[in-house]
Amino acid sequence: MKKILLSVVCTLILFSCGNERVQKTPPDNKLNKCTLRFSWWGGDDRHNATMKAITLWNARHPNIEIKAEYGGWDGWTEKINTQISGGSEPDIMQINYDWLVTLSNDGEDFYDLNELNKFLDLSGFNEDILSFGTVNGHLNAVPVSLTGRGFFYNSEVFEKLGISYPETWDELMTTGEIFYENGCYPIDLDIQSGGTAWYISVVYVQQKTGREFLDMNGNLGFTVEDMETVLEFYKRLEENHVTRTVRERIDADGNSALYQSPEFIQGNIAGVLEWNSAVGKYESVLDKGVLEAGNYIGDENGNNSGWFVKPSLLYAVSANTKYPDEAGAFIDFLLNDKECADILGTSRGIPASRYAEEELEKTGKLDGLTKQNADMLDAMNTVTISPYMELSRMKEFYNMAIERVSYGKGDIPEIAQELYDNITEYLESIK
Amino acid sequence: MKKYNNPVGVSKFTGLLLISPFIIGSILFIIYPFVCSFVTGLTKYDGIHSPEFTGLKNYKNMLTNRHFIKAVGVTFKYTIIFVPLKLAVSLLTALLLSTNIKGIGFFRTIFYIPSILGSNLAIAIMWQYLFTRNGLANQALELIGLDGVSWYGDDRYALFIIILLRLWEFGSTMIIFLTALKEIPREYYEASKVDGCGSVRAFFSITLPLLKNTLFVNAVLQTISALQEFSAPYMITGGNPMKSTYTVGMLIYDEMFSYHNAGYANAVSWVLFMITAVVICIMFRLTGRIRKDIP
Repeated sequence: MKKILLSVVCTLILFSCGNERVQKTPPDNKLNKCTLRFSWWGGDDRHNATMKAITLWNARHPNIEIKAEYGGWDGWTEKINTQISGGSEPDIMQINYDWLVTLSNDGEDFYDLNELNKFLDLSGFNEDILSFGTVNGHLNAVPVSLTGRGFFYNSEVFEKLGISYPETWDELMTTGEIFYENGCYPIDLDIQSGGTAWYISVVYVQQKTGREFLDMNGNLGFTVEDMETVLEFYKRLEENHVTRTVRERIDADGNSALYQSPEFIQGNIAGVLEWNSAVGKYESVLDKGVLEAGNYIGDENGNNSGWFVKPSLLYAVSANTKYPDEAGAFIDFLLNDKECADILGTSRGIPASRYAEEELEKTGKLDGLTKQNADMLDAMNTVTISPYMELSRMKEFYNMAIERVSYGKGDIPEIAQELYDNITEYLESIK
Repeated sequence: MKKYNNPVGVSKFTGLLLISPFIIGSILFIIYPFVCSFVTGLTKYDGIHSPEFTGLKNYKNMLTNRHFIKAVGVTFKYTIIFVPLKLAVSLLTALLLSTNIKGIGFFRTIFYIPSILGSNLAIAIMWQYLFTRNGLANQALELIGLDGVSWYGDDRYALFIIILLRLWEFGSTMIIFLTALKEIPREYYEASKVDGCGSVRAFFSITLPLLKNTLFVNAVLQTISALQEFSAPYMITGGNPMKSTYTVGMLIYDEMFSYHNAGYANAVSWVLFMITAVVICIMFRLTGRIRKDIP
């Protein structure tokens, strides 16, 4: 009897620990008086532009107040995960591409935006773009823009040293040596949340072999030997002083992001590999016009394939929102409204919405680093990044492997094998 | 008038009613999460979808997980170095601040300030100014002709900057010592002086024996907080380099919020709880006779 009672209690607790799926509030096709929470991450440039856009919305819609929740990228995923676990997430969220895998793998955990078509106009988006936000036939999120990581250089430092921006891997290595002789580095690769050390090395191998690291369904395309080449290439980057070693980086900057580092602001680090939709935070800490977009690096035969593109950010609506129509209307405003497009500019990349892009083109705001980089990507043979590649656990695997290579803790073949095993085991466990 | 068999003369019901906020609060915010956490630890649960019962699998996985074993090692290393140092620094400062010099209240306040700052972003930035390659600590070392140290980047030293931060926040421990020091009758010291006893001898023969219980209480409190350390390494080093500052607290956080592994995170929390309980029991056991043997 006691055992039965105990198992009943345990079952009840277990049931109460798990989140039950909340019944979605159906759209009522009218805009009601309400307050909506909208959250995003980014740098100061994005924060300022978005706050101005919200002010415009609040002036136009005094009955629908938008409350802003924003911050930097570090720790943002954890914050949203906690909110979603507790059912206290904002009504409208700027989400990252891989969150669709972790937060809504069946497409049921964000609002289906197809249901909000009364107020959310998606006619400015092509089907391919919208497919990035579609899970199991449900439009869980609308991509704000497409982005890729590009090279952005401190032009003053390059001019001073009389060097042009590298275009091939060999030139990159030579540039590293010249910079090192002058006490600085051409770029900086990290093993923190950005994980650019792994990223650039994977691109190198993709370009060399023509194989994709991961496909869209999370199938691993690289062999153990490819992993080994990735890690060996990263080691070469350090040995040729293209980037600081992990230890040098931590010693100089502690736990800070590069754009907050005096080394970058003073020009000792003269470049960064960053998403074109997020380069504003680097641009804003240097004098205007100092940061310039460099070329995508390829081999000596002019092959510069293998570089990744992805939806930079997506807007999603909480499945728990009580005001889906109002949330849809606000997303429509952010994506399509001309005045709003003028205010937001390219703070989230080149808008994927045709209407917003046309407006920026008309007002001459479609320029700058983001545009220059996006144009380069348009002309290249790019690879669409798998949402599985950016999962936190995967980043942990890459970063640990890179750190071990950098600190010389273990042989590269052994580290590559371990990395391969970890990745395959993890991918199998989540699919 | 009805008389009740208790000193305040209220009925059992009134008594229960008066303490009900505490009882309800304990059930809701301590006992329920405690049980819930244990049950969640027996499941595969991503924090979003329904949990799936997996029995002791999370606990078995822990035994073979290198990161968990390393995190336990780091946490113990941190605790073993930190707790005695913290007690020594706090006691020493309490002794200095128990003297009756002019403006002692001001000094006590100043020494307490770091404790209320915690490990926030401002402190993380300050620590960077102090311990990065060109930071003040290395500048000071170079001034006296020594080589700078790779505080953040060397896995042998990184834990020490976390320990230093927590040592700097010695205010609360110091206040407990200070209060206990004030309780020691002055006559003992005066009598020892008459017998020709110096201040060092007086410290070891009078002060320390009479502070035994306070020392133990502080040791227990500091051990518990050290075993659960999270915020300082999270803010200062992010667990780097090479996981040398990655504590069990950080592992629980990452598993729970970064990796969507709530079942495993809860199981680790329970193991941390058991480790803490065992360590405290051992401390009680080892010091039992000494603590009772108070003059």
